[in-house]
Amino acid sequence: MRLSFVDVPRRRPWPPRISAFTKPFWDALSEGRLITTRGRSSGRLTFPPKPFCPHDWGREVEWVELSGRGRLYAQTVIHAVPAAFIGEAPIRNGIVDLDEGLRVAARILGEPALDAPVECVVLRYGDGPLFAFRAVRA
Amino acid sequence: MTRRVAVIGGAASRNGKLQTGPDAELHALEHEILAPLVIDAMAVAGLPKEEIGALIFAMCRPYTQQRYFATFMANYLRLPLKATIMEVLGNGMTGGMAFDEAVNTVASGRAEVALALGINMESHAASVEHAMLTMRATGDVDFHTIFGFTPIAWYAMDAVRYMHEYGATRAELASVAVKDRRHASLNPIAQFRTPLTLDEVLAARPIVEPLGLYEVPPRGDAAVCLVVCTQDLARATGRPHALVRGRGFFHDGAHQINEVPNDMTAFTAAQGAAAAAYRSAGIGAEALDLAELYAPCTIVEVLAAEALGLTPRGQGAAQAATGETALGGRIPICTSGGCLSRGHPAYVTGLLTIYELWEQLTHRAGERQVPNARLGAGSCELGNYNAALVHILEAMA
Repeated sequence: MRLSFVDVPRRRPWPPRISAFTKPFWDALSEGRLITTRGRSSGRLTFPPKPFCPHDWGREVEWVELSGRGRLYAQTVIHAVPAAFIGEAPIRNGIVDLDEGLRVAARILGEPALDAPVECVVLRYGDGPLFAFRAVRA
Repeated sequence: MTRRVAVIGGAASRNGKLQTGPDAELHALEHEILAPLVIDAMAVAGLPKEEIGALIFAMCRPYTQQRYFATFMANYLRLPLKATIMEVLGNGMTGGMAFDEAVNTVASGRAEVALALGINMESHAASVEHAMLTMRATGDVDFHTIFGFTPIAWYAMDAVRYMHEYGATRAELASVAVKDRRHASLNPIAQFRTPLTLDEVLAARPIVEPLGLYEVPPRGDAAVCLVVCTQDLARATGRPHALVRGRGFFHDGAHQINEVPNDMTAFTAAQGAAAAAYRSAGIGAEALDLAELYAPCTIVEVLAAEALGLTPRGQGAAQAATGETALGGRIPICTSGGCLSRGHPAYVTGLLTIYELWEQLTHRAGERQVPNARLGAGSCELGNYNAALVHILEAMA
């Protein structure tokens, strides 16, 4: 499922480091897809993606696409931010439980209620993507 | 070889702004603050310096100029050591780990006396710059820090979830700050001693919603030294001491959040550490006379108290509001004033926790003394209580 894009006309305050292994994740996000890894022997998903399965330490993993849908588990608005984030303050961040049974932390757009269904969107910064969640639009 | 171990002495500086800036005409030097406390603590213990076999330091903040501070101090104190010397680091658990290792060193027979000590100097670093360091400690740098999470942002999310699930109110949470400030007003080493009202706490500017200024930790400095020795040696001094009666540790295997959704506000690591500590002490939570919890925010004190079984699940905030966790209440928590008002010089907070328990259990706590205090628990943690270390101490006259 292709995710919606939200343009953010500035650079990411603290861009992620990209490795040969995580590059597919960030490339997919740029294309509007949220992906992660699944262990072949355990069949279990993990997030962030890892070059092995943390559950059974199996070395073979495969990339799978996530729905990007979930429910908002917790959130906060950060007023006292680190120096690099002053241009973004105040920041609404939260924790989302994805439908696939993964818990992720991310930026939150709008003001969704706790336990409300949310969907992943791509924040298209000038220098690359981040991900966020917002209330599912009816 | 495992021997019973006691805390026989202690000394601490006041909490607050001790650090000087780089351009100060006269600097506050870490070793000049800490060394007199070592001498004070040993004087209270009534033990000669020659008995000391180990120095276990809480690591200094990166702002401290002197590197390898531990071995520098061994020279400054002219202290040959037959057991070990080290600096430990474990985020908020740092001070607790230093104490834990000092206890191990004595219990294992390597030393008769060990010092657990440290100095945390950070107040001169601007909060926005300090947060550039701490944000990298409490989150995955490439998948959490990218969004701007700060250490206390995770606790704020605990508060939101806890209020949502249990119907706890903002006022109930805020009452923890009022209570801790009242305790701190009775503690000569506390950073903030002027009483706070509930209205002031609720009206404070937001830091990490829903928590305002008085519900998050102040920035500050402090130094502390604890003297740990065998129970036999402690008895021989004839001085009051606190026996290390129980100990428990648990790491939940997660960094801030569990990728497999769980009950985040249950603080399962604290539950596990407390269960192990109670088991090793042969007591239950109801036997405790007081608890000094590592709680940088109001919500953390509530959740840690519940995880340690001091208050029922979901009722911790309400019980704080009705005074059950205050001095004079059913189970006094954070009699020092806690991180919120005693102070939170994070790398030595765990040492200050044991210092408060030792003061209470040797009946040196003055106006904030818990009458007839016999059993006390201390906790420290890292992350969002992803790991917890719990000690249970017992008064020995």
